[in-house]
Amino acid sequence: MEDKITVAHVQLSSCCGCLISLVDTYEKFLDVLNSIDLVYCQTLMDAREIPEADVILVEGAVCLEDHHALEVAREVRKKGKTVVALGACAALGCITRFAKGGQMPKPVQGSFSSLTEIIRCDMAIPGCPPSPELILGVITALIKGDEEYLKPFRRYAVCKCESCGCDLIINVVNKSLCMGCGICSASCPTRAIEMVDGRPVVSPQLCVKCGVCSFQCPRIEI
Amino acid sequence: MAQTVDITPTTRHEGHAKLILEVDGEGIVSKAYYINTTPIRGFERMVVGRPAEFVPFAVMRICGICQTTHGIASCSAIEDAIGCEIPEDGRLLRELTGLGSRMHSHPIHHLLTLEDFVKPEEGDLKIEIIKLIQSMRKVGQLIVDTVGGEGIHPPNIVIGGMRTNISERAKAKLYYALRQFEKDAYRMYEIYQELIERFLEEVGIPDLGSHDYPYIASHTTYGDREAINWDGIVEIPPHRYYKDMKIAESTSLMIPLYEGVPAEGGPRARLVKFGNFRSGGGAMDINIARAKENLGAVYRALEILDELNINGKTRVTPEYRDGSGIGVHEAPRGMNTHFAEVGREGRIKSYRIIAASNWNFPVVEKAIEGYPHQYAEVIMRAFDM
Amino acid sequence: MDPLGSYKSIISARATDKRILKRCQDGGIVSAVFIYGLENNILDGVIVADKEEGFRPVPKVATTPEEVLEAAGTKYTVSPNLSVLKSAIREYACEKVGVVGTPCQILSLRKALKYPVGFRHMVDKVKLLVGIFCMENFPYMGMRIIVEELCGVRIEDVVKMDIGKGKFWVYTRWGEVKSVKLKKTHPYEQSSCHVCTDYTAELADISTGSVGSPDGWSTVIIRNERGEEIINKMIEEGYLERRPIDEGKFGLGLLKKLALVKKEKNMKEIEHRKELGLPVPPDVCH
Repeated sequence: MEDKITVAHVQLSSCCGCLISLVDTYEKFLDVLNSIDLVYCQTLMDAREIPEADVILVEGAVCLEDHHALEVAREVRKKGKTVVALGACAALGCITRFAKGGQMPKPVQGSFSSLTEIIRCDMAIPGCPPSPELILGVITALIKGDEEYLKPFRRYAVCKCESCGCDLIINVVNKSLCMGCGICSASCPTRAIEMVDGRPVVSPQLCVKCGVCSFQCPRIEI
Repeated sequence: MAQTVDITPTTRHEGHAKLILEVDGEGIVSKAYYINTTPIRGFERMVVGRPAEFVPFAVMRICGICQTTHGIASCSAIEDAIGCEIPEDGRLLRELTGLGSRMHSHPIHHLLTLEDFVKPEEGDLKIEIIKLIQSMRKVGQLIVDTVGGEGIHPPNIVIGGMRTNISERAKAKLYYALRQFEKDAYRMYEIYQELIERFLEEVGIPDLGSHDYPYIASHTTYGDREAINWDGIVEIPPHRYYKDMKIAESTSLMIPLYEGVPAEGGPRARLVKFGNFRSGGGAMDINIARAKENLGAVYRALEILDELNINGKTRVTPEYRDGSGIGVHEAPRGMNTHFAEVGREGRIKSYRIIAASNWNFPVVEKAIEGYPHQYAEVIMRAFDM
Repeated sequence: MDPLGSYKSIISARATDKRILKRCQDGGIVSAVFIYGLENNILDGVIVADKEEGFRPVPKVATTPEEVLEAAGTKYTVSPNLSVLKSAIREYACEKVGVVGTPCQILSLRKALKYPVGFRHMVDKVKLLVGIFCMENFPYMGMRIIVEELCGVRIEDVVKMDIGKGKFWVYTRWGEVKSVKLKKTHPYEQSSCHVCTDYTAELADISTGSVGSPDGWSTVIIRNERGEEIINKMIEEGYLERRPIDEGKFGLGLLKKLALVKKEKNMKEIEHRKELGLPVPPDVCH
């Protein structure tokens, strides 16, 4: 037991899809559970208090009108040696960027910020959700201390971006860096990117701001 | 002596919630409040003014376990609003995606309830069941990946049908995967029946978690708006449902009522309404009904593969006009309904969602009342919240 | 560092299948590898660049040898092959995917395989990366100008294009051959190619192209065990014939020279962009 890193999973305002993505490692999921010491995960186990942990994976954005959510965010920072904003809601806001309140029975709740805007995160992972293989890769790198692998996610925690398809246009197409490989188009979880004349054309009405297209682009430094 | 038991947060379910229980001198719950404390991201308001195409992608993100049902209900509400008929093969693929989602969601719910029924010393059994669950989920998610485009938030579910058909090879692969699921599902059904039987014997309360509310369900494997009397459904603010204002102000849910009372949705409701499953029993029956539904899902999925023409058209281009519509899909947890009002340019004028778990929140409260408080969470979990 | 990146061996080779040789660019290596893969259960789907009317490239998932043959031949314009990567593993349900791409596309795919953020259940399904030598590429209309304005050929009449011996060649279905010096085609190159320093697809399993081999033959760089296994089997089973690579200045010498030219020229461009304060691509293969 002493060699295993302690890991907690905390859910803020999200759909839980990032955790499900991890569970979608299917038969390998038991190996994941055996390779770490999972100390908190409200969806899967009965621990009711967030304990101190080597790694805290947080999914979801922070609702500023929910006092409890802000407290949890601060608690996570206090108790986690390494805080990972897991998935686009925590890392970038994603679909919660469109929230604006007005819905019954709590019309006041309407301001959501990414976790990276509320507390200092050590790492951030885009994607809606990030793939099972990627999450597994990050957990494995955390266990091994493979900093080379984790570097892009450390950088991503402090980078400022719109996290939508506009990043592709501004940082790649407009900078004469796009060579038309099409990886952005394939990566898009809502199929919002079509390649026309060898360049990405983003449908803004379909983009959920998950940040994946820019992250996958080989021409952007991450 | 009467006391209040506060379980915060409740565990092994999706989202955030807590239980506040008024307990009498014998430890029996006299009044239960099941409060949803999840902040409201406001999907109903988020989509207003936006193009209809955005809506399915947005609302799928309500839930990472049952995204598919929101995608289907959303598309079908908008199609109903604009009078759009989708091609038969698109409809079949949609139903198949929904079933794939059920075939991953039901087993994951077995995973969440597992510790209620397996004893700490039964480590090997637990591992066996987890392996079985993951093997079943792998098939369910393979369907959603292949037909829906992504296992989590499937983008192929679009207004007008499905974005694409599947290849001959994909169809064959799904067939063999389903045959494996069929075997696993029988084993799971057996295991769950035994576990529940033993649990209830040990607890000594055969009807643990029973309630006398009616059931609501529209279909067994898909969703049928014609099966429901929509005039009989209202949604009221918690302020009107709960006498205690503090409770009313703390929950994030609107309370749906069917003919004036809450109604249970989900596996048991479907199997009672459309089959001969026992009605009025304890809540543990729902766990068995869920395991049984895995079988119904796999047989319907195989039937769909048989009916599907892989060269058939799956999508029509929607033509937008003013109108309002209802989309209903039987989510793993219960009946999920979306109501959409669409304007001429294809923009959303108003939108309402009665998600599956909305129905079950007030039912859970009732089911917990009258039973020892230590079983409150076990009863709640039976409903798959 | 070797201008060709790391590799195990380099040979000259060509397909033996007449159907391939009839339609292919040089030695038909890409088509032969993919057809061999599909016929021998090593691959069950391959991503290739097919073409529509007017030589407009369309990325395609091919699952039969016939579909591979239809797509044979180089298109000298951007084909976003990776854009159909997900189709291959979703609605086509392929589990053993082969991908052909330019050096930048191979690099892009390698990155996605290392960090598959948006690629659920993909990593173990991509089985073979075949890279093609590439100095630069043309936007579609740039290629049209070269064909129609510089060579004077109607696009509908083109059956094959080629680059070699310092010229851009156009073959028509009427049997004519037109050409233009590469110096004249430079203005129509896509600018983003000028920050790429990889000529031979250094991150592929197998890289191939005409440079370094006689007419009708292709140079094949075998970069790892995965590439070696399939090429060896193909030679053993008679799908490919091989000859030693010419080590001289018209063989390996030329290949290395061109690879170096691309590196040096484009490193200069990268430095220039840095001076201007413009972003440059990360992780370049020097």
